[in-house]
Amino acid sequence: MHRRTFLQLAAAAPAAIAAADHKIPKYRVVSHYQAAAQPGMPGPYAGQVASVHAGKCIDEASEKVDPAVVREMMSKGMRALTGDADVRDAWARFIAPADIVGIKVNCSGAPGIMASPAIVAEIVRNVMTAGVPPEAIWIYERFEDQLESVHYDRYVPKGVHIWAAETNRGSTEAYDPATYVETTFFDEDDTRSNLIRMVGNRFTKIVNVPNMKDHGASGVTGCLKNIAYGNFSNVARSHSGSLTNTYSFIGTLAAVEPLRSRTVLQVMDGLRGIWHGGPFSFGRRFHFYPKRMLFGTDPVALDRLLLDIIDDKRKAEKAVSVWDRSPKYLGPDDQHQVNPNVNQFVREPGHIEYAAGLGLGVYDLDKIKLKSVEV
Amino acid sequence: MPLAFLAILLPTLYWDRPVATADALHKAGIERLYVPAGQEEPWRKQGFTAAAFDRAHAVQAVAPAVEYRLDVASATRVPWVDANGWRFERARSRAYFYDVPAGGAAFAAAEAFAYGVEAGIRAVPQDVAPFARMLKFLGEIGQPNLPSRANIGVVDDGSDAMGELLNLMARHNLLFHVIPAADTKYDLNITQIPAAADPYEYTMRIRRELTDEKRLLRIFGSNLVLVRLTGDASEARVHLLNYGSATVKGLRVRVLGPYEHGKVSAFGHPGAALEEYGVQDGATEFTISEVGLYTVVDLRRDSN
Repeated sequence: MHRRTFLQLAAAAPAAIAAADHKIPKYRVVSHYQAAAQPGMPGPYAGQVASVHAGKCIDEASEKVDPAVVREMMSKGMRALTGDADVRDAWARFIAPADIVGIKVNCSGAPGIMASPAIVAEIVRNVMTAGVPPEAIWIYERFEDQLESVHYDRYVPKGVHIWAAETNRGSTEAYDPATYVETTFFDEDDTRSNLIRMVGNRFTKIVNVPNMKDHGASGVTGCLKNIAYGNFSNVARSHSGSLTNTYSFIGTLAAVEPLRSRTVLQVMDGLRGIWHGGPFSFGRRFHFYPKRMLFGTDPVALDRLLLDIIDDKRKAEKAVSVWDRSPKYLGPDDQHQVNPNVNQFVREPGHIEYAAGLGLGVYDLDKIKLKSVEV
Repeated sequence: MPLAFLAILLPTLYWDRPVATADALHKAGIERLYVPAGQEEPWRKQGFTAAAFDRAHAVQAVAPAVEYRLDVASATRVPWVDANGWRFERARSRAYFYDVPAGGAAFAAAEAFAYGVEAGIRAVPQDVAPFARMLKFLGEIGQPNLPSRANIGVVDDGSDAMGELLNLMARHNLLFHVIPAADTKYDLNITQIPAAADPYEYTMRIRRELTDEKRLLRIFGSNLVLVRLTGDASEARVHLLNYGSATVKGLRVRVLGPYEHGKVSAFGHPGAALEEYGVQDGATEFTISEVGLYTVVDLRRDSN
């Protein structure tokens, strides 16, 4: 088999955004997929975010989510984003009956926090209303143990696939050997991170469903981290000691075709969030309840808002800012898990601005058009 | 070491248990034995091809294993692998002796075979059957008369520090030969180790100076598979030794050079296949669907 390979110049990030203390590794991006005429990211609503708040979407004591409120939030959010009067028209802008739809959930903090089943179920319902049969809908994640702990099957119609790339951690069968990012961070032996095969050979559209979470390595984990680290193999290699390469690796991965073109919608679950310890949930102490969902096509714009949501909460809790790079806050993981003023890694919230430099969206708050809706 | 009865160099069971165990060995399919000196005759009378093996004068091989060492700080989170390939490269003409715990004999046989060294392997009785199955497999795949291939030539001073460097290079699949003097046929020659050099850092420096692009053989998808490469201008054999306990599903292999045809043979995995095989940019890449204990891939170029 001889394949024509397009080498994408992901490493050619604007020098201006490569901060002086960030050494950008040399990335070799290999993909034979071409970009769509209009890639899904940043998509038709670059620099736009619809934010829907609903005080009754979740009960803080029980963390029980109200599906009826979620339905209303999603309807209003999608209509606010698109300007359509009918939510069906809004979904039809993104999903066609012939599409095979991947719903990229986030279960890395499950069962404490994950893409809420009520939200995922409502997305499935809307995708089906757009004419897609359940058999053409795939709820997916990288790790089977995390995905199965949520039991999405209890919330969605029969026929919807619930699928994980790695049934055993580290297995590579589900990844495309011809689509990868090659780089070396810390002299690791395996220098490739491969894209999930289904992204290239099955899904025609992807809906990204991250949570609102702090992240010990990348500062926050939102749209970009979920779509990047959640679709490629062998990404933990970007961390070593107290350092990570999340600053440049997240955006580089997210920009790989066909992932970039096929990820057409971002639905951020902020019913509850994690203000410390993310992406994991080390108990309720670090949960908080924004009671909000963000809608858009621009992952950078959503994540830019997420940065302030998480950092504001951390300030309110008198925790060190996600922007603080001081070594004095570094400590071991067991302390990080219980103390919000201990960082396991030097955080890299700048990964969002870096991704903007790769053309994935709008970072400047002054240029982000926010439509706020109350339910 | 006295051994001339093998057409190909197969590892041999070292057996110092009573002759009364002969039936069990026959039942397992064992035909050849190394035995302590003076015990050849009784075994020959039982129908075995038996030769004396002086384990005290053989090089002691370690029992192949993986050590995770989660409690030890290190430069890498990759688990350590106890392997003998570097020893074999260091002294190819020596005979080696393994004394392996239960479950280790078959893999030890594969390791010795992959490097083409003479080895006596002392196994526990329950390992005789899997050992015999491995011998059968090794006999079936044979040992093509192909030269070993390497990127790096190492002038070995015999020191412990050099031994550690060889060990680390083998651990990271940096293919080397031990040579008497620097030779321009190698991409890189190592003639000495700088004083006080950190062995791991120095190994990584070697890798960076060589560059991954020039490496004759690379793998993607496992930190526990070590490789060896033999070959010439028209054919090659890739040896893959999986030191982990789990089958690797979907190991990607890159061999420098265009080999249009490939055939996989995998011990215990008759369904293993080469998938997504391609030749591009002067290299051959393929995925092996299942990599168990020991797998070989025979590659061949078009004759024209």
